[in-house]
Amino acid sequence: MLVYVLRRLSQSVAVLIGVTLITFLALHVGGDPTYLFVGERATPQDIEMARQALGFDKPLYVQYLNFAWKLVQGDMGQSLTYKSNALGVVVEHLPATIELTMAAFAFATIFAIPLGVFAALKRGTGIDGAVMTFAMIGQSMPSFWLGIMMIIFFGLFLNWLPISGHTPLLAPLLAGDLVTAIHNTPEALVHLIMPAATVGLFSLSRNARLIRSSMLEVLGLDFVRTARAKGQTEKGVVLNHALRNAWLPVITILGLEFGFMLSGVVVVETIFSWPGVGRLVFNAIGQRDIPVVQAAVVLFSFAFVAINLCVDMLYARLDPRVRLR
Amino acid sequence: MTELNSLACRIGLAALGLLGLCETSLAQRPDARTAVVAYGSDASTLDPQQINSRDTQNIADHVWMSLYEIDDDGKLVPYFAESFSESPDGKQLTFKIRAGMKCHDGSPMSAEDVAYTFKRARDPANKLVGSTPGFVLTSLGYKNASAPDPTTAVIEIDQYNPIALGLISEVKILCKAAYERMTIDQAGQKPVGTGPYRFAEWIKSDRIVIEKVPDFPLRKASFDRIVWRVVPEASTRAAELMARNVDIITNVAPDQIDTINRSGGAKVQSVAGTRRMYVGFNFKPVFNTPGGLAVRKAEVRRALQYAIDVPTICEQLLRAPCKRATGLVNPPNDNPDLKPYPYDPAMAEKLLDAAGYPRKADGVRFDMKLQGPNGRYLNDKNVMLAIGQYLTDIGVKTDVEILDWASVYLPLTRAKKEAGPMFFLGTGGGTWSALYDMADLSAPDAITNPMNWDDPKWFSRWAELNRKQPESEQRRVVNEMLKVFYDESPWLLLYFQPDFYGVSDRLNWRARRDERINLVSATAK
Repeated sequence: MLVYVLRRLSQSVAVLIGVTLITFLALHVGGDPTYLFVGERATPQDIEMARQALGFDKPLYVQYLNFAWKLVQGDMGQSLTYKSNALGVVVEHLPATIELTMAAFAFATIFAIPLGVFAALKRGTGIDGAVMTFAMIGQSMPSFWLGIMMIIFFGLFLNWLPISGHTPLLAPLLAGDLVTAIHNTPEALVHLIMPAATVGLFSLSRNARLIRSSMLEVLGLDFVRTARAKGQTEKGVVLNHALRNAWLPVITILGLEFGFMLSGVVVVETIFSWPGVGRLVFNAIGQRDIPVVQAAVVLFSFAFVAINLCVDMLYARLDPRVRLR
Repeated sequence: MTELNSLACRIGLAALGLLGLCETSLAQRPDARTAVVAYGSDASTLDPQQINSRDTQNIADHVWMSLYEIDDDGKLVPYFAESFSESPDGKQLTFKIRAGMKCHDGSPMSAEDVAYTFKRARDPANKLVGSTPGFVLTSLGYKNASAPDPTTAVIEIDQYNPIALGLISEVKILCKAAYERMTIDQAGQKPVGTGPYRFAEWIKSDRIVIEKVPDFPLRKASFDRIVWRVVPEASTRAAELMARNVDIITNVAPDQIDTINRSGGAKVQSVAGTRRMYVGFNFKPVFNTPGGLAVRKAEVRRALQYAIDVPTICEQLLRAPCKRATGLVNPPNDNPDLKPYPYDPAMAEKLLDAAGYPRKADGVRFDMKLQGPNGRYLNDKNVMLAIGQYLTDIGVKTDVEILDWASVYLPLTRAKKEAGPMFFLGTGGGTWSALYDMADLSAPDAITNPMNWDDPKWFSRWAELNRKQPESEQRRVVNEMLKVFYDESPWLLLYFQPDFYGVSDRLNWRARRDERINLVSATAK
């Protein structure tokens, strides 16, 4: 087991080094970004001073080694646009993205289950057709278009929901400020409705279709027939037998769904002015704010590598054959 | 209407099980004492000596005083300084400082704060590079600052500078006591100001809130709070304005102007900005191509001026009427005797024939490349394509090449200076001085001279401008130089880029040409 753990750990370190190297090279391939950080009237002396202060005057490998050495010490450098700790800037934006992703995930899951189950139970009826048409439309609409349509309809014409912006919920909770968190909750929820629905509609549609087909498959199996034959009520058959088994393939997908949403909120964060990490990184790439992009990539890579490592170790613990591969 | 909306809200949100949120959802409009501005990008820092964008400078203008400021009419007026004088040789600038002013932390202000501000900006240990004071102090020829007594600040420069006062107006005065205690990082996050508004809150990528300083004696502000919201998407900004959730939005997309004007609650104000849009001709030897060689002749460049219908470009592509520029200086400081080149393609063809570039058998006189960015300036790509077509129509076959601004075009224009032989660019200018605009071409090797233009008829005149002389004499030299620029045409002259602001009907506010958003003088209707 120890050998296996050491092997997986060394693989994870290699993956992290690879990710940092690729990110570093990709960001530097566009050349010297000094000009983006000086005003258009900057003199050659100002530009040279800026280049030296930012470290862009050094050879690329020296810049990478400096970056790697600082990274080992937990320092990901200063944001060039925010003029403060790059990792701090990323972490500051993280709660907003997690809030949005969790809300979208909840929206996609909570509404998908009854829709999918209902459509399966009413197979071939108008209700089934309506649900499937809705799911098809939901999967076809690009999120930027859907977001803007929702803004126009619910925000502008009906004035039911705030058009853009964010009220922090997770950040005060993480800071232990329960009073602010409770105070912010109603406003935070109304701010979440449109962006979460925009992010979650695609997943909702896909999950509804998946649950429907999974339910249809399970409803035709012998044990369901047996449950009915034993005199179970239809509600009991659906909830206790069919849905419990239909869940399994859906749960596998849901795990992937969260990561997909987390990385796919950039457009929605931009449309709804959501101060999340997706928009931060998108802007940082445009402004060549290399430390922020690197900090975000390293943070996310580290999280994914750590999760995979934990999962692999759990597998190895549960199934000894894995350790021998 | 509100009751009807509330009812509809209850019915709608009841379906979602969120009935209790209705009151909150409808309470997005700012109260009468608050003004809300939505702009496209977040502030990078709130340390005035690290700011390098106009958006953030606009916030800083409310939180800090400067010695002088540029007022709504584009004139330089005293602010923290009561008056200004200079030594006979122009190398020593003396400011009489107002007494009784206080920093937002309560500590008294004096000339010592002025001296500290300039010294801090130039202290190499602070590494304050790339910011507005960076270029200001370099352009100024700054040498030293001192405070001989509490109400006198002296700034020394290396030689007489005719635009010194305007440059100094860009520098925000910091409180020595507060900033000496802060690290550079702290200074960027939790500033201590000196102006009519004090910093209250900054939620990154979301909003910056500033609050009125009740007893600020120099400017009377009407709004208690100003919220600067970050709304990157132009259509979302427009929706927020039309829903009356914000009072001013910047950079309205031209295709949304009519929608906003029809909304009943807001109007779009259009002003000719101070950004000078032009097509530069690159004279660098690397462009020894037929086209590159052709545009080194002034008569060819003059001929090309007649080929472009600038008012039509403005009307059709920018959705704003414009008058064609006659040079690099913003009106009203330009040379009034110069008339814009008219659109006259026949004249362009005649002049090209006379210059020795007749159409060949295929109808082409010579071919050229026009390079420029996409998305950097208002409708830039389409403007370039239009210019390319206008030139092709008179036999100058033009290949328009669109490049990425950040990684390709900016280094090409500023580092290598090899954009071209024709390139599309816009550079910021001012309303307060012709010399400020002309300073872009202060020397053949200036970074703001990506044409590599080195005509002695222009550059030799700078010695006169940099010499103290009566204002009328200075103006005469300026006008003569602008005539040289007009005749030699190192730029294919275009327009001053229009700026579009969406403004709520509840606000008395006038858009300025220099992209400054001054809400101190704004009032609620």
